[in-house]
Amino acid sequence: MRNILEWTCLLLLLATLRANSHSPPEKPTLTSCRSPEKETFTCWWQPGSDGGLPTTYALYYRKENTDAVYECPDYFTAGENSCFFNKNDTSIWVNYNITVVATNRLGSTFSDPVDIDVVYIVQPNSPENVSLTVMEDKGWPFLRVAWEPPPKADTRSGWITLVYEIRIRLEGENEWVIHVAGQQKLFNIFSLRSGGSYLVQVRCKPDHGFWSEWSSASHIRFPDYFHREKSTWIVVTVFCAFMVLSVTWLLRMNGHSLKHYLLPPVPGPKIKGFNQQLLKNGKSEDVFSALVMSDFPPMSSSNYEDLLVEYLEVYVPDEQEVKSKELHGGCFKLESSTSDSDSGRGSCDSHTLLMDKCGPSNGNGDHPMGTEDQVGGRDWDDGLDAKEDMSGLDVGRVKTWPSVFSPLPTSASSLLNQQISRELTKHHCLSDSMFCTQGVLGPEFSLCSAQLAMPQLIESRSDFNIHKLSAEKDRVQAVTEDTSAILQTFVPQERDYSKVRRVGSGNMLLLQRVSERGPDACEEKSNSAGTNVKTPSVCLHSAMQGQKDTVLATSGYVDTAAMVPMPTY
Amino acid sequence: MTRGYFAVLTLLQLSLRVRSAPICAFGAKCHVPTLADVFERVIQQSSRMHSISSDLHAEFDSYPSRKQVGKWKCHTHDILAPGDKKNAQSLGREELTQVILRLLGAWRDPLLQLHQSMRQQQEEDQGPHSSNMALEMSDVIQELRAGVLKMADKMKLLGVLSGNTVAPAPPEGALHSSGSYKRGAASPVDHNDLLHCLSRDSDKVKNYLRILQCSTLPGLEC
Repeated sequence: MRNILEWTCLLLLLATLRANSHSPPEKPTLTSCRSPEKETFTCWWQPGSDGGLPTTYALYYRKENTDAVYECPDYFTAGENSCFFNKNDTSIWVNYNITVVATNRLGSTFSDPVDIDVVYIVQPNSPENVSLTVMEDKGWPFLRVAWEPPPKADTRSGWITLVYEIRIRLEGENEWVIHVAGQQKLFNIFSLRSGGSYLVQVRCKPDHGFWSEWSSASHIRFPDYFHREKSTWIVVTVFCAFMVLSVTWLLRMNGHSLKHYLLPPVPGPKIKGFNQQLLKNGKSEDVFSALVMSDFPPMSSSNYEDLLVEYLEVYVPDEQEVKSKELHGGCFKLESSTSDSDSGRGSCDSHTLLMDKCGPSNGNGDHPMGTEDQVGGRDWDDGLDAKEDMSGLDVGRVKTWPSVFSPLPTSASSLLNQQISRELTKHHCLSDSMFCTQGVLGPEFSLCSAQLAMPQLIESRSDFNIHKLSAEKDRVQAVTEDTSAILQTFVPQERDYSKVRRVGSGNMLLLQRVSERGPDACEEKSNSAGTNVKTPSVCLHSAMQGQKDTVLATSGYVDTAAMVPMPTY
Repeated sequence: MTRGYFAVLTLLQLSLRVRSAPICAFGAKCHVPTLADVFERVIQQSSRMHSISSDLHAEFDSYPSRKQVGKWKCHTHDILAPGDKKNAQSLGREELTQVILRLLGAWRDPLLQLHQSMRQQQEEDQGPHSSNMALEMSDVIQELRAGVLKMADKMKLLGVLSGNTVAPAPPEGALHSSGSYKRGAASPVDHNDLLHCLSRDSDKVKNYLRILQCSTLPGLEC
């Protein structure tokens, strides 16, 4: 008996316990409402816990500004926990107030109300019949994507307006490229990879609403237009090969000159007598001894013809010494050819300068010639004549010396520039002590210049008739064309030469007496006549110290005649 | 006297003639817009109207809306605007055009009042932004209305529209208004409701125009 009582008590307890776990249902939640075509819509809800009891759900709605409450017309079409509003029940631009009620035995619970306007909840289905075709535009292929709107959406009547989007990617890649297509139903995609395999999807959206799902992927393989690219590559390759070949050929042909153009050869040291081999061999004494030129100063007459300038010895016929001339004094002008086109004359040789110098000292207006020299005097009379005659002479030019042979007094102010014409230089007499040229100025005209121990640079630039170099002696020897008068102060033993400093303008021969003069006198005489030879004028104004001694280069005398090959004109 | 009459008559004729012919610059040949062009333009304008109204509504949406509290109707509620596709298609083109014009006409006064009340309130809460938008909205609606009228004329010319005269509808909104604007005292709450109505009506207009376009000129776009 007690056992039965206990058992019933226990059972009752259990029963009550079980009965106490039931509860009214929990509040359901409206999750979403959607309309696929703006003509119907569906609402879904999420039920809460049912409280352990069978619970039913009901959806009620109220339209805007009306009091009538309606229940969901269709709970089944859209599935579980849904309510489907068909066309008759759907009004656009009307607010719906929707509530879901969960009811069980113990009670009912209302969900939170939701206000919706169907216009704003439109989410269409995906576009359908996505077709991909490869088309060609002037030989270049592109992809045309075409589709149709979702079948339920009535875009044809204009009730709903959809805009579309396309996305495309290569197979095997992750990045989609999105193209906005607007309201149109086809779209062209260009610049796709040849031979590429692509996936394409389309989706749509109404004016205000939600995007649809992407359509199922359509697959397309883009054709190979490789051959077209290949032809381009072929052309490019051929062109490059052609360029390479031509460059190679050019290099072969002109490689040497090109090399010279790009990398000009560095001039090496060219010292006469310098033997690199000797240097390499290592004996410095040999090297330096080799440097000493055996033929320096040149004594032989072998190169005389190469000498550019020939010395003219001016011999004064009588015993008088030719005075050296004052620089500031008179000037002894020797006529030279009238024309002097030489423009390279230095200032020392300026015509006007010399004229200025010679002018005032000249007693004779016509013959601005005169010198305080002893060259003047009787000799000068002859010289005058000589001058006159020589005025007609075209020749009488001392050839120019190349400047390389001018280890000269660096003052280099004026230069005796004379140019000996070819005719004049026919005869060269060069000796150890003297060399002279005998020219055909007139056949009798010969000017010999003294040879100096040191070669002297004379650069003649114009038609100087006389170029006088005289180291020790003052001697002027002039032979004119007509006269055979030779202004010569001739000392048989030795020759006295007057040092012609310069032949300045106005046919002034500036002489300097070596013995007396210091190294300062320097006169100019420029050639009034024109010459073609342009040579700079070097002023020889260094003093002459020695007599017959070797005249240092500083003295201004350079025996260039021996060294310089006479240019033959 | 007769000369004066004659002069006046010629002047009138000239003025009429001038008015009838389209005036183009530099005497160039005028490009007369096609119906499609007019439709394009009108729909663009209605889109613009709708976007402005949406912006305006969004600004005021924070305020409580009377429509949630109680009964509240737009002042255009009794204009028989079709609320679904079937109704919209059952209306003919002419009626649909009329509805559009009525809707557009109903908003002229309320918008002006809205602009004024917004301007009054702008010192308190917002800047001139909203009131300017309201003014712009008013202009847009006026333009749109004129455009729709032109469109209707063109349709009539082409025979698409029946010969019923589509006269400019009188501002009906004033007669049936239940909006607070009529009372003169406008609060942001009232603004909110008004703007809500405006947004909706502009969307209706846009949709009706689209229906008209697609029924009149079916093409690739529809």
